[in-house]
Amino acid sequence: MDLIHRSAQSRDLGFGLGTINMPPPADSSQPRLAAGCRWGGTTEEERVVLFPEGAIKLQGTGRQVLERCDGQRTFGEIIAELQKQFDTADPAKIRDDISIFLEQLQRKRIVDY
Amino acid sequence: MPFNPLALIAEVTHRCPLHCVYCSNPMQLAGTQTELSTGEWASIFQQSGKLGVLHAHFTGGEPLARADLTEVIAAARAAGLYTNLITSGIGLNEQRLQALVAAGLDHIQISFQDSREDSANWIAGAKAHAHKIELSRAIRRYKVAFTVNLVVHRQNLDHLEEMIAFIEQLHPERVEIAHTQYYGWALANRAALMPTRAQLEKAVVIVAEAEKRFAGRIRLDSVVPDYYAKYPKACMGGWGRRLLLINPAGKVLPCHAAEVLPGLTFENVREKSLEWIWQESSSFRRFRGEDWMPEPCRSCDRRTEDFGGCRCQAFLLAGDATVTDPACSLAPSHHIVESAVREANSNTTVTQPAPASSFVQLQKLSADLWAYRTNPE
Repeated sequence: MDLIHRSAQSRDLGFGLGTINMPPPADSSQPRLAAGCRWGGTTEEERVVLFPEGAIKLQGTGRQVLERCDGQRTFGEIIAELQKQFDTADPAKIRDDISIFLEQLQRKRIVDY
Repeated sequence: MPFNPLALIAEVTHRCPLHCVYCSNPMQLAGTQTELSTGEWASIFQQSGKLGVLHAHFTGGEPLARADLTEVIAAARAAGLYTNLITSGIGLNEQRLQALVAAGLDHIQISFQDSREDSANWIAGAKAHAHKIELSRAIRRYKVAFTVNLVVHRQNLDHLEEMIAFIEQLHPERVEIAHTQYYGWALANRAALMPTRAQLEKAVVIVAEAEKRFAGRIRLDSVVPDYYAKYPKACMGGWGRRLLLINPAGKVLPCHAAEVLPGLTFENVREKSLEWIWQESSSFRRFRGEDWMPEPCRSCDRRTEDFGGCRCQAFLLAGDATVTDPACSLAPSHHIVESAVREANSNTTVTQPAPASSFVQLQKLSADLWAYRTNPE
């Protein structure tokens, strides 16, 4: 077998924007957790997304976005829901932030859209 | 508790149908008759979940050599763990794969020795390559994540591009390109495995190109060989900090190789609770934190990133587990690694695969080059 030296290192989100740009999700796409990724954790506060080489603990908006990535809602619907919920924030900024967030997770093969 | 373990490496058996020359298993393998039972593993998973462990990585040896692997995986899922099977695929047919997925297997990782069949079978010391390809196709018909791991070294690096193209058409979500790390059998075979600097530099460029090409489709992780690095790897994310390993006989270790270290006694889950072993045992506390650190680690800014490197490598190369990892360019014993690198670069010899009709004949033919991993009693 091969050594697993990295499993502990990739546990935080630690995104660092790379130079590779992914196409953003289209409004009609239905984001979902990628194969091998699922929710886990023992308590409501400790909910994490598990994936092959690690896990991410999501709080606040990140968690609200990912919990809506159920393969049913469209990207457009997710944005609309969160724009409604955070109605004091700039809607364009909410859209941009969510788009970037999902692009990053797509690149890590945690989300498909 | 200052740290809680996040991942459990479950070495469920040391039996293996392959004989890979780079195997990281200890050369003293645990015998079949001492293996933990299904129930003992189930208790380990329950204890692990309570300690905060999220992942169980099933490895060996070849985990499939255990007839009860499906039950073992189901027990890990029942304890709330993410299950990852690291396998050669030998012993897996579609029916068994289906049962594993139904039991809750989240992820399967198959390692390939090469893209070329003759070379792959030569490195593994077994005719396994064709079956792995067949199995990779079957895996894609099931709802399970799939990673292909490729172990690279002097004997196969010259056709890395071909190997990456080969892997790509197996359609994994993830690819891991791992340079051999020198422990266990790989250390004994280091001269035949260590790449030259020219091979390595070329490989870095090829991997970077592949990463760009794969973007958004396949996630590519690569492990660099620490003999050529400036600083050591953060082995296991630090001693007793994030990971624990349980060997087939129930011994609890901070890493794959720790049993080689003299003067340490490793506890057994048959006698003590996992929580006590993790928190209180002298072996897990021995190199945890910074108190044990010598100079130059003690005053080094990188001590919180690489934790002084690997304790086992310090012992295996410098003869002392308490010194800075010789892979570090700042280590007083770095000359040991430099001399191994010099030797690796003194020639560019690559050997042609030896065709043999049996494993015994293969062992004889290759005796001057490397020793194949053998099986426990």
